[in-house]
Amino acid sequence: MNWIDKQRNIVDFALSSLLRRWRKNLALLCVYTFVVFIVASVVFFAEALKREATLVLEGAPDVVVQRLIAGRHDLISRGHMEKLERITGVSDVKGRLWAYYFEPSVGANYTLVVTEEAAGRPGTVAIGAGVSRTLQAGQGDLIAFRGHDGAYVSLEVARVFPSSSELVSADLVEISEEDFRALFGLPEGIYTDLTLRVRNPKETVVVADKIRRLLPDTRPILREEVLRTYEALFDWRGGIVLAIFAGAALAFIIFAWDKATSLTLEERREIGILKAVGWETSEVIVMKSWEGIVISLTAFLLGLVLAYVHVFFTSGTLFEPVLKGWAVLYPRFQPVPFIDPYQVATLFFLTVVPYTVATVIPSWGAATIDPDTIMRQ
Amino acid sequence: MSLIVLNGITKIFNRGRPDEFTALSDVSLEIEPRGLAVFKGPSGSGKTTLLSIVGCMAKPSAGRVLVKGREVTSLPDRFLTDIRRHTFGFIFQQLHLVRGISALENVILPAYPSGERLASLRERGVRLLDLLGLSHRADTNVEWLSGGEAQRVAIARALINEPAIVIADEPTAHLDTKLSLDFMAAMERLKAEGKTILFASHDPLVYESAMVDRVLEMRDGRIVAERRAS
Repeated sequence: MNWIDKQRNIVDFALSSLLRRWRKNLALLCVYTFVVFIVASVVFFAEALKREATLVLEGAPDVVVQRLIAGRHDLISRGHMEKLERITGVSDVKGRLWAYYFEPSVGANYTLVVTEEAAGRPGTVAIGAGVSRTLQAGQGDLIAFRGHDGAYVSLEVARVFPSSSELVSADLVEISEEDFRALFGLPEGIYTDLTLRVRNPKETVVVADKIRRLLPDTRPILREEVLRTYEALFDWRGGIVLAIFAGAALAFIIFAWDKATSLTLEERREIGILKAVGWETSEVIVMKSWEGIVISLTAFLLGLVLAYVHVFFTSGTLFEPVLKGWAVLYPRFQPVPFIDPYQVATLFFLTVVPYTVATVIPSWGAATIDPDTIMRQ
Repeated sequence: MSLIVLNGITKIFNRGRPDEFTALSDVSLEIEPRGLAVFKGPSGSGKTTLLSIVGCMAKPSAGRVLVKGREVTSLPDRFLTDIRRHTFGFIFQQLHLVRGISALENVILPAYPSGERLASLRERGVRLLDLLGLSHRADTNVEWLSGGEAQRVAIARALINEPAIVIADEPTAHLDTKLSLDFMAAMERLKAEGKTILFASHDPLVYESAMVDRVLEMRDGRIVAERRAS
């Protein structure tokens, strides 16, 4: 108990010492919190996006087969489908129909997709929240699409996708097969690409290899590859944001280093007094360490909480343009709150520990002075 | 038994350098408990250095120091700090109070690392300030205190760890006559309580005071004369 009381007394003095220099410490705390906030926001946001992408891709097919002509994606025929069905281990081969549609009036690109849900309701579409916003169209409104022959086709909005799925559905237009083929003049038996399931997930790579050999004009895209691409993409975007703020971080490091490593005359005098009135060198160092811990831990926790609110309650407003997309249709979505303890620990060791160590070193230097120095002043 | 014994103490600063300086030269001395001794002499005579060594603040270059019969010269700094904390209370010439905190906080500052509960420390601090007639200023920041009040805070701080010996270096150097007399009165009370008091001073008001038991005159790092009260 004596040890605890001793630490409590030393912390008490450390806090009073911080309060005495509140202007300097408040400035330091603000800058420190800002840097932790930026870094934590980027980390939380990139992680939330990756999780979102992973969740979305969970229901995706194991393999997508696209036809390539001269290195470019081309439409694929039913003949390819039949060949794929004959590969051992492959099941559920389906043709997919999707396309990009540019709407000049709003300067936005939509993704038109044929789904099983839309099959039963020709003449209607389901649209993403982004499309709904840009066209100012809601349920029951008519949207006109310009067909391949220049004629306009009007389709009724049957529903608008909920904003919870907006990250992937913002620019989506769900359309029936008949309307899709009519709009783009696509004959029966032709698809944008093919999807298939592999019964044994361990054989996906083997199946992909078979597809490449059997259909040399196609490329199989594995779900795992898409996931990896997403992760790399969001990590890269996170890196860009961090690079943008690297200047701020560097300024902070110089500022914090200066504040932490150099003691003012007043601080040196105080350490001298403490030594002269009977404090041990180690007790002075513990006191200064507490000062460092209080500043850095407060900044760390404040920065973390602000970043949490920023990312999970305000949808990362500051980074939206960089992290979420590049189209006119920025998705508005609320990332699901999630914190990776490993990342928090990494942030902690990158912020709290270096600062605390940086504060202790000069104090240690000052605390090793002979206590009689104060007698001579 | 003597409370403090100095045996052949020499203190050399900057040894081996061009500015080498011998502050004390072969000083031997015994200090008995419950008395008031004053080291007098001109500036540079070695008074402050001698008090630093007596108070375990500095180590001698040669010689031995015994505090309550225990040889302390060879002790590591940690143990020396412990002896200093529990045996000595210091009143510095410049007072050296920590600005920005209250008088009470300054008083209890030496006892923070003792592990005594803060509430009990504060209680003792207030009691000390009360004894010195300063309890009404306990929560005032020290920079708002008058010279005499600050002096009394420094005295209270020296007493917080209940030391057997109080050391004061030129305690009246910055005080007018009235405040100097007040200070001496406070020291007289401490002496009556059984404390041993050591002063370094060249103020006649101090070394000619009737309460002084012993005056040791210093010059060029040596004790050149001694007078004991009859």
